Amino acid sequence: MDEEKQKKPRQRQKNKGVSTSPIKLELLITVVEKKKADFYADLIQSYNCNMQIKVLARGAAGLEMLDYLGLTATEKIVLFSPIRKDKRNEIMDALEEKFKSIKRGKGIAVCVPLSSVIGKQVFGFLADDERLIKE
Amino acid sequence: MEDVKYETIFCIINAGFAETVMDAAREAGAKGGTVMSGHGTANKEAEQIHKITVQSEKEIVMIVVEAKIKDEVLKAINKTAGLNSPGKGVIFSLPVSRAVGLAGNQAEEKTQE
Repeated sequence: MDEEKQKKPRQRQKNKGVSTSPIKLELLITVVEKKKADFYADLIQSYNCNMQIKVLARGAAGLEMLDYLGLTATEKIVLFSPIRKDKRNEIMDALEEKFKSIKRGKGIAVCVPLSSVIGKQVFGFLADDERLIKE
Repeated sequence: MEDVKYETIFCIINAGFAETVMDAAREAGAKGGTVMSGHGTANKEAEQIHKITVQSEKEIVMIVVEAKIKDEVLKAINKTAGLNSPGKGVIFSLPVSRAVGLAGNQAEEKTQE
């Protein structure tokens, strides 16, 4: 009994300040040709995505395959974009449509769930949740 | 937990070993990948104590694979480019909740049509 009493305040202290939001975040990773990176970054931003990171990369297709296809440049941009889970399907559908329809605009996009974000303000910024704006 | 069809494998490896990773991954069934450049940081004190220098120039290889072949790809990469190899690769995978633009996806859609 005494042990239980001692454990309870410790548990409370551990959970102090921890809150969960109904809004979940995912990390969208998009790999596109360098020239089309700005276009796709703008497209993703239009779906309540307030921050994106662009990383210069190169495709890892085998040299034999590149020779066969007559390609030389494989410069790519990887976009890391935290997005709201409820917007995921909308964004992915839009990307899929653009990948198919835009000339030399092919790419891949995958979504990875994020388990936690530290800081209410940061979360509000990433989730584009105006209720969490600090006044 | 959603049904995971794809996994994204990340391999952080010493610069110059990305092709080694890709060769191993391809042999295990992966179709392609993307290589990014990075800069590693290590515990300087630990480096001095263990008399090891960690090469700071790194490459990050990102490979999207079907979940069913994930383990084989991870094992193949670890065998040729893992921590016990000159590449000193750190390899991990993340579940993908949705993917578009992959060669496999298009094939699936075509068969549905």
